[in-house]
Amino acid sequence: MNTHPVTALHADASGGTRQTAPTILEVDEVSVEFGRLRAVDTVSLTVREGDIYALAGESGCGKSTLAYSLLGMVPPPGVVATGQIRYRGRNLTTMDRRELDQLRAAEVSMVFQAAMNAFNPVITIGTQVEHVLEAHPDSFPNRREGREYFEYLLRLVRLDPQTVWNGYESRLSGGMKQRVAIALALLLRPSVLVLDEPTTALDILNQRLVIDILNDLHEKLGVTIIFITHDLALVAELANRVAVMYAGRLVETGTIDEIFYDERRHPYVSALIRAVPSVTADTSLIKPIAGRVPSLAELPKGCRFAPRCALAEEICQEIDPPLLADASGHGIACHVVNAGMTTKGAVR
Amino acid sequence: MTLLGVDQVSHRYPTSTAVLPALNDVSLEVEPDSVTAIVGESGCGKTTLGRMITGLLKPTDGRMLFQDKDIWQLSRSDWNRYRRAVQIIQQDPYASLNPGLSVRETLRPGLLHHKIVPRREVQAEILRLLDLVGLDADEAFLRRFPHQLSGGQRQRLAVARAVSLRPELVVADEPTSMLDVSIRVAVLDLLLSLRAEQGLSYVFISHDFGVVRYIARGGKIIVMFFGVIVEEGPAEQVIQQPRHPYSYLLLEAIPVPDPRTARRRRNEIATEAIDDRADQPPAETGCIFSNRCPFVEDACRKTRPPMVEVAPGHQAACLFPERVPQLSGVVPVDTHV
Amino acid sequence: MEFLKDFWRILREDKPALVGGVVILVYVLVAIFGHFFAHVSDLPSGGQAYLGPSLDHPLGTDFLGNDTLSEIVIGTRPVMIVGVVSAVIVIFVGVVVGLFSGYVGGFLDGLIMRITDIFLTIPGLPLIIVIASIIHTTNPFVLAIILSVTAWAGLARAVRAQALSLRTSDFIDAAKVQNLPLTNLIGRQLLPNVGPYVAISFLLAVTGAIYAQVGLFVLGVAPVSGTNWGIMINLAMNQGALYTSRSMLYLFAPMAAIVLLQVALVYFSRALDKLFNPRLRVQ
Repeated sequence: MNTHPVTALHADASGGTRQTAPTILEVDEVSVEFGRLRAVDTVSLTVREGDIYALAGESGCGKSTLAYSLLGMVPPPGVVATGQIRYRGRNLTTMDRRELDQLRAAEVSMVFQAAMNAFNPVITIGTQVEHVLEAHPDSFPNRREGREYFEYLLRLVRLDPQTVWNGYESRLSGGMKQRVAIALALLLRPSVLVLDEPTTALDILNQRLVIDILNDLHEKLGVTIIFITHDLALVAELANRVAVMYAGRLVETGTIDEIFYDERRHPYVSALIRAVPSVTADTSLIKPIAGRVPSLAELPKGCRFAPRCALAEEICQEIDPPLLADASGHGIACHVVNAGMTTKGAVR
Repeated sequence: MTLLGVDQVSHRYPTSTAVLPALNDVSLEVEPDSVTAIVGESGCGKTTLGRMITGLLKPTDGRMLFQDKDIWQLSRSDWNRYRRAVQIIQQDPYASLNPGLSVRETLRPGLLHHKIVPRREVQAEILRLLDLVGLDADEAFLRRFPHQLSGGQRQRLAVARAVSLRPELVVADEPTSMLDVSIRVAVLDLLLSLRAEQGLSYVFISHDFGVVRYIARGGKIIVMFFGVIVEEGPAEQVIQQPRHPYSYLLLEAIPVPDPRTARRRRNEIATEAIDDRADQPPAETGCIFSNRCPFVEDACRKTRPPMVEVAPGHQAACLFPERVPQLSGVVPVDTHV
Repeated sequence: MEFLKDFWRILREDKPALVGGVVILVYVLVAIFGHFFAHVSDLPSGGQAYLGPSLDHPLGTDFLGNDTLSEIVIGTRPVMIVGVVSAVIVIFVGVVVGLFSGYVGGFLDGLIMRITDIFLTIPGLPLIIVIASIIHTTNPFVLAIILSVTAWAGLARAVRAQALSLRTSDFIDAAKVQNLPLTNLIGRQLLPNVGPYVAISFLLAVTGAIYAQVGLFVLGVAPVSGTNWGIMINLAMNQGALYTSRSMLYLFAPMAAIVLLQVALVYFSRALDKLFNPRLRVQ
């Protein structure tokens, strides 16, 4: 249960506080396999307490699979084939069912994609919340306190507690239900909140609301947020640290400003940012990325992005580049971009 | 002569219990060789309007006009001509193609029915169309089925199907929203090049202003809210200086892929206006937006505001459009139009 | 061509279906060419009645001394003709009615479905028995029509349900926007999507028709003339084949022929789902 107020942990642009905050979630050389296919291939990353961490990438990159593995919820027949996932030092991959059940919702909680569909239509929202409270008596021994905390959370997500508690899910719009789902995920006071595509099914105004609410929740509750998305605008609006994945591999990690503005960046990340037709972009500079994401069954030898990369050289077709980080922790998996780096400056 | 006209169209779905209709006295005109973007959030009626323009839905009130004739009164041959001239590209590339038909069989029937080319030239024409949209123009590809194609390829095939009849107007309903980010612009570029080559008109339906800004350069944007057109004007103008409070709120609210801008906005702009009223229902009397409008006055609740001209070619359905503030500079003045 | 190559690959992968297919092929060949190799007559032949199995008569003889195996061979053709023709009628009527009704919807759909329901609720077998006993026919085609009279209704309902759910699909909208004619919409757009279901229903209709016609002959409702398996069973029971163990072969041989064909049809139908569904057929 999270009892830390977050006053000092508000994310700042350079990510400077990140160096000092303790690690809360560590992914260590994790691979997730479905039969012969590796949806996630040897990924390592570190989430510190108080981060708002974006796991970004396009369809099939493995971000959702990785996120599910953080809760020990990789759908069968998927298995975590290599590596460890550590929550506050405890290894999730070796936990048994009982330990995992206690961990979920109370320590690490998740809001699934289109969570708005997760409500039982024939009972009131309030009843559903009570079911959750009943299942976790350790969190709120006093049921009334649980309800009051939930109502507090509802106000934080800008909803009227009375309308929601006594209402059925059919009375709420999609955007409202998404917010109720977020409140519910925070009910047991988890330290980490994972969200899968939190804004994908929403309109512009609802997206803006969710972004503002998540920022608010982060500030007021001090919860560490990890979210998965393919929407770079969401990343820019919310995250302080980003990990970008492509075809199962981690290609870049860094602070939000490093990902968007650094000169030293992974070609895929630069190309992706350039490929988004946003209202702020210079239309003459917008360019799509030619080619397609490779299927996991037919991965190219060497760097997976090489077939589509303007900078690709011979070594890129032969060897899959390792993720090398500079002194500030900005890691990139690219031979060409890292060519200038010596092994001294490189931190694995 | 306008290509397509929407004349005071209203529509209420037969099973609807809502007070407000899906479309509420909507009128607009689509000129030949133009791009008209219809923007709005879910429930605004843009998809309903799209279905009406393509003749899939008949309005309960008002007329849909093709070359100044009511489409629902057309003779059989005129209806056939209309159905050749107005085509559709749909949002979901996984639902818009018949899974039981190969690539060849997807493109053949339209070509044959409308006799676009003589029968013996159909195969060659199909290959030409595939090449035109950037797909493999060879025999092997013709035999593929949709489940063997990627999302981007399917959407290109849908584009090929739409332009195969050499139409004058294509209604594109969110054609890129279900595609990977890195290839959206590729499909938009394809649509733009086809337009340049064939003088096509587009009615482009979207909720994404960024995409609309890219495709509707030199064209018109129409903003809808719960079945009502609230603003209409040249694309660049509407995006840089909206004159209806709803358009203004939308454009201020758009998440942008630029951290510095996002931070600046977070520190400078108050978004409470959106929050408190975001869940309010549309108003049944007076201005439909009055329950959510941060600049609302008493007068707004009494009469439904007519569309007034706020700049040449630019109209807004607001009694006090001058109260809409400048955008906070999020959107750059586009010098590359 | 591609279709056949895929067909062959699917069969190779599914051994039971392959075996079923081979068996069916044998039956078909026997039905077509059997008459060249086997002969029977209505008159007592020189042979002995109810002989046991031997080299001359692998399945023994019947009560007139005819070779049982020859009778099985000769009897294949009428049974298969009735089975296939009846299935063709049932599938054709059922699919056309179902797709059309489901697609057009509205009042017409309601009307057609009321009529279909009538056929659905009429008890099939008793009706067939009544009709067959009135129309004394040995013509396999007429018999096939009689057998189809109610069997199409269930298929029509099932296909209609599929058409109803398909007709709101985006790709149907796209076909409408191209103003494709109704025949194309039903025949080229909807039909491939119900393909697997229809193919399997076809095979099951064949098995149903075979059982139904055999039943008619066994019951003696259809005229007992000529040679077919149903008649053989009928005669076997009436001519005392049950009483000796040697003559039991005459009773069991046609039964075995029927069952073997039915099982082969069912096993073969496993391949049809893959064959008619492009997602499963094409690699």
